[in-house]
Amino acid sequence: MVRKSLLSKLIEQRTLVLMSVPLLLWLFVFRYIPVWGWTIAFQHFRPGTKLFDQEWVGFDNFKFLFQDESFYRVMRNTLAMSSINLVLGFITAITLAILLNELRHLYFKRIVQTISYMPHFISWVVASSIIVNALSTESTGIVNLILLKLGIIQEPILWLAEGKYFWGILGTAEVWKNLGWNTIIYLAAITTIDPAQYEAAEIDGASRLQRILYITLPGLKPVIVILLILNLGNILESGFEPQYLLGNGLTADYSDNLDIFVLKYGIAMGNFSFATAAGVFKTVISFILLFSANHIAKRLGQPRLF
Amino acid sequence: MKTSTRYASPGDRIFDFCNIALMLLLIAVTLYPFANMMAVSLNDAMDSSRGGIFLKPRIFTWYNYKYTLREAAIYHSLLISVLRTVIGTIVTVFCSAMVAYTISRPEYVLRKWVALSFVLTMYFNGGLIPTYLLNKELHLINSFWVYIIPGIVGVFNVIIIRSFIEGIPDGIIESAKMDGAGDFGTFMRIVLPLCLPVLATVSLFVAVGQWNSWFDVFLYNSSNINLSTLQYELMKILQSSNGSMTQKTVGDVLSNQTGHVMNQVTPASIRATMTIIASLPIIMVYPFLQKYFVKGMTLGGVKG
Amino acid sequence: MKATKMRFFLLALVIMLALAGCTKGNNEAKDSSSASANSPSASESSGDPSSSASASSEADKTPVTFSYFNAAVAGKDGNTNETVLGKLLEDQTGVNFKMEHLVGDLNTKLGVMIASGDLPDVMVPDSGIDKMLDAKAFIPLNELLDKYGPNIKKLYGPYWEDMKSPDGNIYIIPFAANNGFVPDMYQPGAFYIQRGVLKEFGYPKITTLDEYFDLIKKYKEKHPQINGGDTIGFDVLTDDWRFFTLTNPAPNLAGLPNEGEVFVDMQSHHAAVTGDKDFMKRWIQKLNEANSQGLLDKESLVAKYDQYIAKLSTGRVLGFFDYGWQIIPAQQNLLQAGDDDRRYMGFPLVFDKGTKDQYMDPPKFVANRGIGITSKAQDPARIIQYFDNMVKEENQKLLFWGEKGKTYEVDDKGRFYQTDEQIKQTQNPDFQQSYGFKYYSYYWPMGAGLFSDGNSYFADRQPEVIEKSYSEGDKTLLNAYGLKVFTDVYSPPDERKWYPVWTANKQQGSPEQIFEQKKTDLQRKAFPKLILAAPAKFDALWNDYVADFNKLDVKAYEDWANGVVQDRLNGKKR
Repeated sequence: MVRKSLLSKLIEQRTLVLMSVPLLLWLFVFRYIPVWGWTIAFQHFRPGTKLFDQEWVGFDNFKFLFQDESFYRVMRNTLAMSSINLVLGFITAITLAILLNELRHLYFKRIVQTISYMPHFISWVVASSIIVNALSTESTGIVNLILLKLGIIQEPILWLAEGKYFWGILGTAEVWKNLGWNTIIYLAAITTIDPAQYEAAEIDGASRLQRILYITLPGLKPVIVILLILNLGNILESGFEPQYLLGNGLTADYSDNLDIFVLKYGIAMGNFSFATAAGVFKTVISFILLFSANHIAKRLGQPRLF
Repeated sequence: MKTSTRYASPGDRIFDFCNIALMLLLIAVTLYPFANMMAVSLNDAMDSSRGGIFLKPRIFTWYNYKYTLREAAIYHSLLISVLRTVIGTIVTVFCSAMVAYTISRPEYVLRKWVALSFVLTMYFNGGLIPTYLLNKELHLINSFWVYIIPGIVGVFNVIIIRSFIEGIPDGIIESAKMDGAGDFGTFMRIVLPLCLPVLATVSLFVAVGQWNSWFDVFLYNSSNINLSTLQYELMKILQSSNGSMTQKTVGDVLSNQTGHVMNQVTPASIRATMTIIASLPIIMVYPFLQKYFVKGMTLGGVKG
Repeated sequence: MKATKMRFFLLALVIMLALAGCTKGNNEAKDSSSASANSPSASESSGDPSSSASASSEADKTPVTFSYFNAAVAGKDGNTNETVLGKLLEDQTGVNFKMEHLVGDLNTKLGVMIASGDLPDVMVPDSGIDKMLDAKAFIPLNELLDKYGPNIKKLYGPYWEDMKSPDGNIYIIPFAANNGFVPDMYQPGAFYIQRGVLKEFGYPKITTLDEYFDLIKKYKEKHPQINGGDTIGFDVLTDDWRFFTLTNPAPNLAGLPNEGEVFVDMQSHHAAVTGDKDFMKRWIQKLNEANSQGLLDKESLVAKYDQYIAKLSTGRVLGFFDYGWQIIPAQQNLLQAGDDDRRYMGFPLVFDKGTKDQYMDPPKFVANRGIGITSKAQDPARIIQYFDNMVKEENQKLLFWGEKGKTYEVDDKGRFYQTDEQIKQTQNPDFQQSYGFKYYSYYWPMGAGLFSDGNSYFADRQPEVIEKSYSEGDKTLLNAYGLKVFTDVYSPPDERKWYPVWTANKQQGSPEQIFEQKKTDLQRKAFPKLILAAPAKFDALWNDYVADFNKLDVKAYEDWANGVVQDRLNGKKR
């Protein structure tokens, strides 16, 4: 019974099937087939050797990760930096999108949009060297210069030498670099809000703030929720370039994250097995978070992923 | 865009003033890195290594650009970059939108399976070597199509486009179907035009990704200069400028005591120059796409 | 329930597909060598490869192109026969090489190359040599060398046994078979000090670290400002992988050469780690003292390399430890600025008077870096013949000096020299590229040191060329110290057959590899803290550091290092 109706439904919806199934096949070939590579995580992998001739080591590569004394610290830093980036990234991008929406001059708005997204195209190598210079205690250090002028500090601070400042510096750097880029998607979402709503609100005498709170923000909600779920799944991906480039020995206790750990003990050593094991671990965590977030969204009656 | 200056209250004016001030600050902070790169790229490389270049060059020179652009391979690679960006963007955006449409149809029986299959792939990958072997098996190595085919659907794009499609009032799609349009017809004639703002957004994401990517060139096509891209060629120039400064090669001794100034470029100056060369073209895509970001376009269009 | 079954089925299907795909991939990699993407011209132009190999004679000059992948250094890709030197060699042999240089990460590229079998004909795998050997990607060269390599055998004769792998085969030909000792033009590691400081105090002979810091202190007190900025006493370089610049001086100061993480006793040949030794403590404590006296630039502990160079270039830094090749831009900037007092001179300092310095590398033959022929090469005989031809002395002169009358001259005593014009020309990077000096500068079978007629292999180490390049300031300084060249400040190196331990290969994920990474992580954290600490707290903090250090697998590392030393003493390749 069930089968027949499924089949007949498929025939009925053949256009939808034709539109999606070929791409689904593509997905299996390009995304699912390479997953056999996860076997590498359980080997002492040597390239050029046949799969069955590889040395199998069970969970050794995972043990190396979990039993390392720095594992706890590395995870803490990863989660801390991801969360800071996530929260700061969302708040600043949504705020900027709303503020841009409130600008009256179309061309000024476009100029701000274009310029604010430009730092996204600067590599972290370049960006970090600008940041290091700005935070310097030498005459180029504009941050110290301003703080001294304002009398907030009495002598220049060596910002990058203190672990306690690191997350803040990193969060600020991420915002600076990606704010404009992150805003684009919200700007696109704002276009779907019916202008009639604003007109009606204006006639009702709603203030600017009220219009933002009761029209713009609710209009953005679906996109915000979807992005939030997607990003929660990526919480272990806090990136490694800025941490690597801005960190140093004095701040390593705060800057070393999972990706840097994998970089050091996996990729830099040519140890594909360990790098793969770390990837598998991340996937497991991502799936747990993704399904939980999706489930919660469903419970709350919010848009969800699947 | 509608203006309402007539009704502006004092509070509104203060708000506007602060808003504009804030935006000007934002412009200053975000324009600086590019202005700085521009200055460094137009400054003598050795002089730049002394530091202290901010907004204008100290010793003006075109040498960094001449050095970077002297290779004939750069111009051919630019063509490949443009091709992969244009083709890759069109293909990816179209296919992503198509998947997005199917999983936005509540009646579609495979909807959940398709959605889940796609979403999951955002959080894993098989790894470098299996992916390489797959592409080799499919004869994509040493081929232009390795830039396009492995990425014809971007899952993030699918999700974003779907959330927009779901924002289209059901009535519009239903009435289209009522008029006898099939799913494909509805998708092409109704959904795609209504989704222009999000398609523009996604196009930008895909185009930037295509334009900037060099890792696939490195992995698959590094020995075929005809398939090299701009970013990869610039990377080569950067790394060899790096190499000659730091590698201790016997025949390439730059004597530290001799008076001959030989190396006119440094990694820092080349990096600045390539930042300008490689990013200006792609940055210009955004202003062009902005005309699709007009408020009310979607629904207004339908109503009108 | 149904869903689970379905999922399981899909998973099984995927795995089966994957395994099928994978094994097929491997087979194809082995069989389809003729379809190799990397050597299209080799198969096209050499016709039937097997026949040409078997029928090969000295006279086989059919044009052929081989692919050459260099993973050791970045450079411009192209064909050797597009350069003057490469064309000359092609005329002699008919062989052209299509050069490709590594652009991204070595391990990534090598991993996919080996796994897929997409190999070039000739490869310089740099530190990836073990992976190549492990995958049997290099062919043994013994027979080929016996048959086609008389000149290679002659040149590498003294090192022949060192070139053999444990199985008795030769898989790679190392670069640079040294003949006679010619000091490097670069200063190797040295404590640099501004010439103005030396002048101020009458060109004193500095041998100890204490004397050095005393001079810096006195000068800084006298001249608190230079070029309008605060005088900086001492800078360190700690950025990223350059961190070794901070730790390497410690054994040097104790009269030991730099072997990496260990030092080796001259009598017992026992290797021990340097990290927790007294000389390391003395060095770091000296920096701590310098910091407490305000001589150390605190910011240099967090600065990037670019900032460091910028700072040196200002002329405000009185002293630092570094290697000549790391400070080229700063040296050039200061030279251009024209104030000789702000330029530097390096000294090989020690802790105690009477210790003989060992900054200069002992003559060494690095046997585990070199060039090999891969299993994909169609015609290895032609490649060996090309190598053999290029190491003939007349061709070595051609490759390193160029053509007589064009890029160098010979005086009536047979000494080679270059005119000012020629020096300028041959040091121009564009010329080096188009002429071919760049392609042939290193990564090939080659000699080094002195030719049989006493001329130096490399133009920039020929005394006649070096002396031309000294400025007035250089000459004053050399006179004041009674030196001919700047490298004369170093004591000659003692012979150490095992030297240097750090070039020995380490297995991926091996205890020694992990030890080195953990040790670096630990020192990157601990040393800046030790340097910045209040002097009274130094000892306690040092003890904490040593305790952490000893938690690492020191024993495994020392065992490995001792194995390397013993093997090398016994003539085994490591």
